[in-house]
Amino acid sequence: MTESSPREENPCRPRHFRPDPCGPATPAEGPARQSLDQSHTRLLITAALFCLVFAVIGVRLVEVGLGGDDAHIARQEPSRGITTGRADIVDRNGVLLATTLETPSLFADPKEIADAQKAARALVQILPDLDEKEVVQKLGSGKSFVWLKRHLTPREEEAVNRLGLPGLQFMPEGKRVYPEGDLAAHVVGYTDTDGNGLAGIERGLDARLRKGGAPVQLSLDARVQYILRDETAKAVSEFNAIGGMGIVMDVRTGEILAMVSLPDFDPNDANTATPATTFNRATLGAYEMGSVFKIFTMAMALNDHVATLESSYDATNPIHIGRFTIHDDHAQRRWLTVPEIFEYSSNIGAAKVALDVGADRQRDFLGRLGLLSAPHFQLKEIATPLVPAVWHPVNVMTVGFGHGISVSPLQLATGVSAVANGGILHSATLLKQADDAQALGTRVLTQETSIEMRKLLRLVVEHGTGKLAEADGYLVGGKTGTAEKVSGHHYAEHALLSSFVGVFPVNDPRYLVLVSVDEPHGNKQTAGYATGGWIAAPAVRETIERMASIVGIPPVDEDSPEIRRSLMVTLPSPEGRKFAAN
Amino acid sequence: MIRPSTILWGCAVVAVGYAMFQMKYEVMQQEDRLARLNHDIASDREAVRVLNAEWNYLSQPARLDELAKRYLTLVPIGPKQLIDIAAIPLRVPEGTAGASAASSPAPARMADLKTSAER
Repeated sequence: MTESSPREENPCRPRHFRPDPCGPATPAEGPARQSLDQSHTRLLITAALFCLVFAVIGVRLVEVGLGGDDAHIARQEPSRGITTGRADIVDRNGVLLATTLETPSLFADPKEIADAQKAARALVQILPDLDEKEVVQKLGSGKSFVWLKRHLTPREEEAVNRLGLPGLQFMPEGKRVYPEGDLAAHVVGYTDTDGNGLAGIERGLDARLRKGGAPVQLSLDARVQYILRDETAKAVSEFNAIGGMGIVMDVRTGEILAMVSLPDFDPNDANTATPATTFNRATLGAYEMGSVFKIFTMAMALNDHVATLESSYDATNPIHIGRFTIHDDHAQRRWLTVPEIFEYSSNIGAAKVALDVGADRQRDFLGRLGLLSAPHFQLKEIATPLVPAVWHPVNVMTVGFGHGISVSPLQLATGVSAVANGGILHSATLLKQADDAQALGTRVLTQETSIEMRKLLRLVVEHGTGKLAEADGYLVGGKTGTAEKVSGHHYAEHALLSSFVGVFPVNDPRYLVLVSVDEPHGNKQTAGYATGGWIAAPAVRETIERMASIVGIPPVDEDSPEIRRSLMVTLPSPEGRKFAAN
Repeated sequence: MIRPSTILWGCAVVAVGYAMFQMKYEVMQQEDRLARLNHDIASDREAVRVLNAEWNYLSQPARLDELAKRYLTLVPIGPKQLIDIAAIPLRVPEGTAGASAASSPAPARMADLKTSAER
């Protein structure tokens, strides 16, 4: 109904351009006509421009309205105003090991403080750990920003607010909190007030943690960690030791389920920790591990066919070489077969086996197991092993029973895992591996050697020096180690490092448990002995018994025929032993 | 002289203008709401973090161990208390229906293994 006018003219022509029918007739020519034409053209151009702009706006309207990129907008919105701080650290089951909480930090603008003395007195009453003089000095400094106290508790914050003093303000700051306390202090580590990682995973994976986002999931299992820590601590206190360490490792993947170093500290209160407590013995300590090294000596001899399980060596007399004498702690004074050397932990036998293997092959084998160089690991606290500069025969012999070479317990556990798991070396890791991930490793010894080694490890627990590690039903196999600690240039007779490394179930090993106790003292219960078999083996047994049901290892009947057969070692009969002794 | 179409356009301008401002205020309100929600999400997340930390603090294994020893008369399961389900002789009912069930025991899981040795 708007179109009341006739349609004789161009419908596209803008309506308001239509000459007024009541107006004067258009002049045919002359200056009037000219200027009219000119303005007409101008109007057309302007109209075209407007049309263009409106068209653009229209197109944009349709675009926004129909919303091709709505999803993009929606995706961006939620993140606005929500800061993501340092990433959390969790264990393999999601138990929180480290998190960042926002806490208020108190600062002051001294320019706004009317009476520094009075304000300081009031503050010190609420926050007793502040020094009044220092606060007065800060508040009177004339700056416009001074920190008074970082990370207040909610109660302190309320009390400060109640003072109602102008010039005091709060700023939310991220504070690193470790809910599990000292449980895995050395693994998790700690940060400084500004959130820089100073130790442990906090330091080793600092860059990743800073990025924020998803939590870093460790391979640790808080439950196993607690059990290992508990048992190691019991051994340390029962035998009056200066420290201890323990590792639980999944031999199939190299994942570390638990790692303990005692004495430890509470990372929530890391600035009161001493160097003695922050020292991670399990990774940063390099120790002569003693007889547990015989595992490697036997493995290399069997692997290179230098010896078989039937070979025997003369362990009748101590070996004198240079100024050293190698003797046995559990001396049998007779010829010993390879299994017996292992069972009784004969130093003489192991030295002779090592000598048969020879320096080159020994060094090569230990190198392949990663025992001669610092491992790649998520922690920066890593010891470089101390190895002989030149491998003289005497070095070959002492290394054969674990002296004259210092490695970290972590390296030892990695190497023993490879010997027990079928011969594949997996680098130790603190990060949880995907369940379906094919653990890649390098073959370092043959499957056959590994199976023979399992039998030997079982023999030690069933009949040898490691009887106290026998956990009913869990088929523990392992090796004891008692090393005299080096002090200066000689060995200290009564300063021992007593260890036990066990794997279970030994017919198809899943987990390795290593416990070492530093300078234990024997007591009545151990008949005065402070050896690995008396000190560390019971701790390993307890650990295995408590953790087995958690990690899902069902107990088996050790006496079932299949298991007997799978772990049988041909030992000389008692008569045979007598015969050999004669 | 005002033509009807001009009146119409005028009305349209007023209506569109009104609608636009209406829309604008609505958007502003929505933005306020969004900001508030974002703030709420942030503080809720922070609260969740605090509660999660507290939960983990309260369920420290050492504390649970201590509490369990003090208040429960339970002790950890020993290896002798665990047995493979296949090793348990099933009671065969009078009928024949139980026979087929007994011959195909369920796969042994840890939960299934849990049974007392005395049984």
